[in-house]
Amino acid sequence: MPSPSDLDALQRRVLGLSPEPAARLDSPYWISNEAYGALRHVLHDVGGQPDAPVPYVDKEEEDWELRTYVLCEVLAWRGVWNAEVRRRRENDLGATLYLGLPYYARWLSVAAKTLLDKGLISVDELAAKIDAVRARKEAGS
Amino acid sequence: MSRFEIGDRVTVREATTLFHHRTQAYTRGRTGVVVEHRPEWLIPEHEAWQLEDGRVEPFYVVRFHQRDLWPDYTGLELDTLETEVAEGWLDPAGEVTQ
Repeated sequence: MPSPSDLDALQRRVLGLSPEPAARLDSPYWISNEAYGALRHVLHDVGGQPDAPVPYVDKEEEDWELRTYVLCEVLAWRGVWNAEVRRRRENDLGATLYLGLPYYARWLSVAAKTLLDKGLISVDELAAKIDAVRARKEAGS
Repeated sequence: MSRFEIGDRVTVREATTLFHHRTQAYTRGRTGVVVEHRPEWLIPEHEAWQLEDGRVEPFYVVRFHQRDLWPDYTGLELDTLETEVAEGWLDPAGEVTQ
């Protein structure tokens, strides 16, 4: 775990860098081929990309994570999708969600979207179920 | 039918990709050696769209020297990296000329 002074030092180093001025990515009228290539980069392909150190946490899977894993496997057994479709759909979440969600929350999000896409559940049904589970949790049972 | 044999030198193609694929950017244009045959399988570019009649290709485990992948690699000369690559991504690289 980096100490606060380590993080301060890292921040000073970053502030000391002087990046080239970049065009804002705010629905521009045109982009270069190079920029399109970079935007097309598949999100899961992170090898060689710059990153900051993160603490190593030796943690066991939680129940919801194991259930998510089993759910996704069962959907594959029933022919709803396969692991490669799941990975593609995780990438299709976009960088903000892909990098912002916990690992198995990515799986769970794309499982729900796939079931909706295929008409196997409805968004009303899913929202109602989430509300029912929340009510049950809040009732403490 | 496998196009490459164990020990063949192969270069990963700099092919255009649209949307999903599994060929790491850092292997593009790099040369390695085939060290293992893997079973034929639907290529990930097609499997990702659940195509019933997608293209099936042989896969290979290709071993790269880390120094060939990362120009400023600071580890040992003998460090290697192995990854699986579908046949369509590989070109024959020929013998070392140096």
